[in-house]
Amino acid sequence: MLQAENTLFTIVMLLYFAAMILYFIYIAIKRDALSRIAVLLQAFGFVLHTAALICRGIGAGRLPLTNQYEFATCFAWGLCLVSLIFVIRFHFPVLGAFAAPVIFLMIGYAAMQSKEVRELMPALRSNWLGFHVSTAIIAYGSFGVSFVLSIIFLLRDRLKEKGFLDQHIPNREKLDTISYRSVALGLLFLTFTIVTGAIWAERAWGSYWSWDPKETWSLVTWIVYAIYLHLRIRRRWEGKSAAVFAVIGFICVMFTYVGVNTFLPGVHSYA
Amino acid sequence: MSLKKIGKFLSSMQFAILLLIILATACSVASFVTQGQSYSWYAQHYSERTAALIIAFHLDDAFHSWWFLLITGFLCLNLLFCNIFRLPQLLQRVNAHSSPPRLSQNASCLEPNVSDPYAVFRHLRLSPIDGTSEDGRQILYASKNSLGLWGAWVCHLGILFLIAGFSLGQITQQQETVYGIPGQSKPVGDSGLILTIDDFRVELRDDDTVEQYTADLTVHDTKSGGLQSASASVNYPATLFGWKFYQNSTGWAELVTVTENGEFLQNEVLCAGEYLRISDKPDLVIYFNAFYPDYVLIPGIGPQTLSGQINNPATLYSVYYQEQILGMNVLMDNEELTIDEYTVVFSEPQPYTLIQVKKDSFTWLAFLGGIVTMLGLVLAFYIQPFRVWAVKEDSGMWTVYGSSPKGGLLFKEKFERAAQSGSS
Repeated sequence: MLQAENTLFTIVMLLYFAAMILYFIYIAIKRDALSRIAVLLQAFGFVLHTAALICRGIGAGRLPLTNQYEFATCFAWGLCLVSLIFVIRFHFPVLGAFAAPVIFLMIGYAAMQSKEVRELMPALRSNWLGFHVSTAIIAYGSFGVSFVLSIIFLLRDRLKEKGFLDQHIPNREKLDTISYRSVALGLLFLTFTIVTGAIWAERAWGSYWSWDPKETWSLVTWIVYAIYLHLRIRRRWEGKSAAVFAVIGFICVMFTYVGVNTFLPGVHSYA
Repeated sequence: MSLKKIGKFLSSMQFAILLLIILATACSVASFVTQGQSYSWYAQHYSERTAALIIAFHLDDAFHSWWFLLITGFLCLNLLFCNIFRLPQLLQRVNAHSSPPRLSQNASCLEPNVSDPYAVFRHLRLSPIDGTSEDGRQILYASKNSLGLWGAWVCHLGILFLIAGFSLGQITQQQETVYGIPGQSKPVGDSGLILTIDDFRVELRDDDTVEQYTADLTVHDTKSGGLQSASASVNYPATLFGWKFYQNSTGWAELVTVTENGEFLQNEVLCAGEYLRISDKPDLVIYFNAFYPDYVLIPGIGPQTLSGQINNPATLYSVYYQEQILGMNVLMDNEELTIDEYTVVFSEPQPYTLIQVKKDSFTWLAFLGGIVTMLGLVLAFYIQPFRVWAVKEDSGMWTVYGSSPKGGLLFKEKFERAAQSGSS
């Protein structure tokens, strides 16, 4: 099973890479048909990615959500899922072109991690693990998409008027709305992540909140997106300011995921 | 500044945003400072100047510092005032959401010349459809999802519960740690409970990794005279006499036997990190630093253990006399330590368990806060309140209006699709 997962993982990486290149060519030569093929490739990659995760789960005899490799590949999976939903739901293939490099970077990061299957330490042997980490994957995926949308939002004003991208990118109001939907999904799932993590921590460590760096940075991320939501309501600060906070929010997400594990060890050091 | 103005500022969104920015900055800065260390520790790890700054700004215990509590206090005030001041307005909006519309009412979108307004209502799954009239003109109206209007309010309430539960828990909680080996009984702080460790098991897998730690416990409540027993393992705490017992940690303990000129003097079970004072020479102290079940000395790193199995046991110890260290060394299995007329032997290594004992009466409030916050977010993001009304024009056609306080562009698109169904 783990051999099958390994093979599937390599194919998925190639598919995501091919989708990314196709998206770039679509923007370069301005052929709409290419975007449809790119979306199909990405969707096919996503299906195989799901199969790879299932193989990993069966091979390891547990949910594949416990180490850097597993979380990174799941993070890429979540990003791919949410970006596909938004690309299809809002007929917005340019979003795919901006999201594809982020997905590829994340799966590339996963490829650099150790794929060794290790037995779980007692603290991780809990049913809460599945809830806690899977909600984090959806949250991070949504925030990744909102980051991409905010970058597009901030770049939009610099685009040539009536150019290809200008015509294929929704107007500012719609971009802001899609970004908001993405942040809303992310914030809801991040709240689920924090609450389920707190319940689990209370059972495992006897304290539902201990200001561990991972917890603290999850809270910082939550606050940054709460600021984003409040700024959107303020008429003078909506749009650009809110988009800037969505970008800062994703930087916090990445720091919570990679930075905290690297620079600020705590009780989440195994994650 | 009048009280009303102060109240308005404290409940304002600008103040909320300012507080959130300060809070996020404070948390992120504090996360980079190792908490709970002394000035000398910071001076050694950073610099004297940084250490002085850390101590001056209470960054050594940032999350309990006066300034952090002040920010949190202001945030609570902001949330509380915001919810109190917004409640009448919110109730008005909820009431207005389902009440008959006026001809002059503002709409976020409209579609004139609609022949079948009922088709629009059906398309938007709006029912029941009510009717009214104004200036002799017939009006049909319906609304949906008024619960969504409560989203932000419920979310703020949840956060208030959460902060209240956490703060009250921090103030009132009782927490103790007890460690020992099977057979030992120890008091649990001043709680009046005596904890007996009946058994402690470390379940290993085939590859020598730990699957689970389990401690069988019996607790005697000296106040009521009651006796209760349960097992505590990682992720599965035991609840006895309203206290929670967590299997928190483990380490090695050994029996330390002291003889004087070959005659038995004393013995005691020591857990790693504990010391033994020689009974007839109290200035002489044997400190049990660590036990290595499968000892190996790695150059440049120091003593390590290759596995959890007792294959090559060794004990790291220190000897102190009049609080001055005399030496530190490793004793291999069956080796004896001789200090003048005293002989010290470490034997019978076995794992000890560390049990965390806790009572927090407000955990439920914090968790309730978390659930209410999630509910608020679901209401705010996924229950879109909207209302639609149709006014019959003199021409016999209808103008359909739509309004959604939070729907924005997506509601407009949805409305347009529905309006087309009534126009065809």
